[in-house]
Amino acid sequence: MQNVVERVINLLIYLLESPEPASAADIRHTVAGYGQESDEAFHRMFERDKDLLKRLGVPLEMKALDTWEIDFGYTVDPTKYALPDPGLTEPERVALSVAARMVRLGGANAGLGGLLKLGGVERGTGIEPLGADLGAEASVLGDLFLAVTERRKVDFTYAGVSRTVEPYGMAHRRGHWYLVGRTGAGERVFRVDRITDLEVGRDADVFQRPKRFQVKKAMSTNPWEAGSDEVVTASVRFDEGLAWWAARTLDVEPPRTGPMEVELTVANWDAFIGWILGFGSDAEVLAPPELRDAVLDRVEAAVSGLS
Amino acid sequence: MSSDRTAGRLSRILALIPYVLAKDGAKVSEIIERFDYTEEDLTRDLNTVFFCGLPGYTPGDLMEAYIDGDEVIIDAADYFAKAPRLTPMEALGLMAAGMAIIGSGQGSPDLKTAVDKLTKALLPDAGSAIDVDVSGDSENLSILKSAAADQQVIRIRYRSMGRETETVREIEPWAVVSTLGNWYVQAFCRLVGGERVFRVDRIRDLEVLDERFQRPEAPTEPEIAYTPSEEDVVARIRLETSARWVLDYYPVDVVKETKTGTEIRFSSPDAEIPARLLLRLGGQARLLDGEEVRARVTAIAGALRERYTTGRET
Repeated sequence: MQNVVERVINLLIYLLESPEPASAADIRHTVAGYGQESDEAFHRMFERDKDLLKRLGVPLEMKALDTWEIDFGYTVDPTKYALPDPGLTEPERVALSVAARMVRLGGANAGLGGLLKLGGVERGTGIEPLGADLGAEASVLGDLFLAVTERRKVDFTYAGVSRTVEPYGMAHRRGHWYLVGRTGAGERVFRVDRITDLEVGRDADVFQRPKRFQVKKAMSTNPWEAGSDEVVTASVRFDEGLAWWAARTLDVEPPRTGPMEVELTVANWDAFIGWILGFGSDAEVLAPPELRDAVLDRVEAAVSGLS
Repeated sequence: MSSDRTAGRLSRILALIPYVLAKDGAKVSEIIERFDYTEEDLTRDLNTVFFCGLPGYTPGDLMEAYIDGDEVIIDAADYFAKAPRLTPMEALGLMAAGMAIIGSGQGSPDLKTAVDKLTKALLPDAGSAIDVDVSGDSENLSILKSAAADQQVIRIRYRSMGRETETVREIEPWAVVSTLGNWYVQAFCRLVGGERVFRVDRIRDLEVLDERFQRPEAPTEPEIAYTPSEEDVVARIRLETSARWVLDYYPVDVVKETKTGTEIRFSSPDAEIPARLLLRLGGQARLLDGEEVRARVTAIAGALRERYTTGRET
């Protein structure tokens, strides 16, 4: 490991300082640590070292060395390499570090390694009795974030369908990550853990995010608000026992005592009926009549599924 | 695994050099704290840096890096004047962590400005392309968090996951955690005399009592997943493909998968939960086995039928 660390630092210095892209052969003969290896061993080593650099966040680029694009060389642009200084104060770094220790993402503490790049913080904060796990497969999430920040197109498979998407933003809701982006058919929301075969486009800056895009607005709060069904205003009554629970879900003030009646806008009947039936017989759709009928239809379907 | 360690070591070195360069030397004790070093590892990394530099690798081409008394000195390393930019996961991780804590109502003003600055630096063209919402009832979260920190006993009115009844219990809260979209409090429950995990949104009321408890030295990781017990009601259900989402949201075992659907086993302390699920699913599920659940669905369906066909009572 000692040798690897030394060699990779030397490689990075060479790539940052070379005025021209450096070919693999050039690197092999110039950078300390590669010289004595056989062809095969060198290539294996060099591949591993390039991977390591990418994992560190180093923007390693391949560029043609001639106009016929026969030979290629490697380079690291110092301006792209450098972390843009967000100008954090020490108390801001401490606050971020506390948050990063409390939150897990992809099975690890969120971004603690990144905090060192921002200057680290002095230790000393005790254990916080509060934590959050944001779940998620790290590799997909990182690739999507890269595509969002650098405005690269992405290709993936979703529910068996191949899609090309301009990724506008990402949001975390109720334990899951979602991607919001533009497809040929307009803006759509995808659940990240259902995305497979993800490919991030090679070119950056290939689309423009709409001005004043807000991922919050693209994500509707409740599942029954997003849909293409006939939009209706449903009036619902929750019985006393569960009124507080419904109020909490809807983020409204619960009644002091007694049942609660509310009016809700419904654009996805299916999701709405499912949610209402989650209250068993302690909730009732009062209006409109079509929605009442639809609830009853669902109940009958469930009963016929008992045999 | 060893490449993870190598990456971690390199990343820390590339963060350390610009920090020391910018300050023109720094105290050993400060570096150890700030970069989470042991003195031994710091010495080893500085020795490594000392042997790196520009091709030629004569003393004049190499960086200088050493400990002088109580100071860390690094020189001749202008190419490393800046730290490498954040990896996508580091950047997203920091932003998401900040947003999650702010969203739960526990963020300080410093955290808010920190997240704003990070967002501006990373996404200059769009201020709100990333959003994390783990919001719960922030008032209850605050009370629980401070009670856990101060080791104060709490009395809660709680609606259990499986049983649709409320209980009043005294708990000793150890930690408050959010996972899979819900907030939980990990606690010693005096009612059952053991460790339990409670969902915060199912706590109807809570009251901080004037009594302290002693938190265990090292509480175990909270067990959020539901552990079936022998008295559980068990149902065997066949889900159609369109109802496969159930696997993500309920603690069920997959018995077998076929082309047309999934057969699951659903354990629950009360028939109410699988019964309500079956009602939600309508025709997308079939109950294969489970007398108590069947009876429960029939009973709820009967009650609903009556409500919906007799019209609204007033």
